[in-house]
Amino acid sequence: MLVWGYQHGKGGIGMDTFSLYVPNFLPCKEYFIPEKNSACPGCGLALAVRHTYKAAERLIENAVWLQAAQGNIFEGVFAQSPVGKSEPSLLRITSATAEMIICFDNEAGGGIDEALKKPLPAIAVAEGFQYVATACPSYPFDLYEKVKRALEVKGKVFIHMLCPCPVGWQFDPETTVKIGRWAVESRAFPLYEVGAGIAYHMTVQIPKPRPVADYLKPQYRFAELSDNQLADAQAFIESNYKKLIDTMQPDKQMTAQI
Amino acid sequence: MIECSLLNKDLGRPFKPGARREATPVWDKDKCIRCALCYVYCPDGAIYRTEDGFFEADTEKCKGCGICHRECWFGVISMVKEE
Repeated sequence: MLVWGYQHGKGGIGMDTFSLYVPNFLPCKEYFIPEKNSACPGCGLALAVRHTYKAAERLIENAVWLQAAQGNIFEGVFAQSPVGKSEPSLLRITSATAEMIICFDNEAGGGIDEALKKPLPAIAVAEGFQYVATACPSYPFDLYEKVKRALEVKGKVFIHMLCPCPVGWQFDPETTVKIGRWAVESRAFPLYEVGAGIAYHMTVQIPKPRPVADYLKPQYRFAELSDNQLADAQAFIESNYKKLIDTMQPDKQMTAQI
Repeated sequence: MIECSLLNKDLGRPFKPGARREATPVWDKDKCIRCALCYVYCPDGAIYRTEDGFFEADTEKCKGCGICHRECWFGVISMVKEE
């Protein structure tokens, strides 16, 4: 019975090797203080923050905590963009003092365009970051290992985390973890990493993707999507995934590897 | 525009995370295999391990979202409505 069906990178034996009982290998100490958090029930962001702190074994004070609410990320991170957010190819991720940049992306204030068209990791790779990864709290051990690896890197680090938000996306708080898993399984948010001596590779392999409608339909914010729009979204995701796979080919790794 | 309340640290009033809970998770110890998946997926860190190795929810922290109920592989956890 294999629960965590994803492949580990070149970092040795991963936690997923131990199958179902792997949660028992996690450290029990909590650094995230739940007594004072006012998060909504079923918050994906709280889950991501909790595991990030747990991996770092401290409160990361020097990090930039970004929340991709409208205006927040685009003014904070992309302050140097000359043309604004309508031209994603010209956006820049910058930070003066941070040891690591973690984008907790709850897609607030965005429609289907912002939910699917997010080139943030690609921008970070082009900017010359030492370690770039995407993560999702539905795969907590994947997230845990990526934060651990990011902390060992000397240099700029960017991690893009997709945090399902039950209030903003309007779904049942019970299904927070499921929605994140469906986002990964439909290839709308592939999990990969690059840098720190590791080649560009997927950390979660999805051999048989599920249709993107499974990910979009349970969210009430997308309840009015027509079949044509769903087909467009499906085609867009597939073309995006092909581009990503192309950049991961061994002969093109020299441009991607830092 | 939706703003997340997680990063607002000073609320200016005493705040009890578990005060508005509608349902509480209850574990069936006969079925539980102690895999700790519920502990991993709890967003608020409300679930802790007791001395006998099983799990319980801290009623002061638990918000009753039901993620543990949904993610448990063996249907151990049931959500009991508060009175």
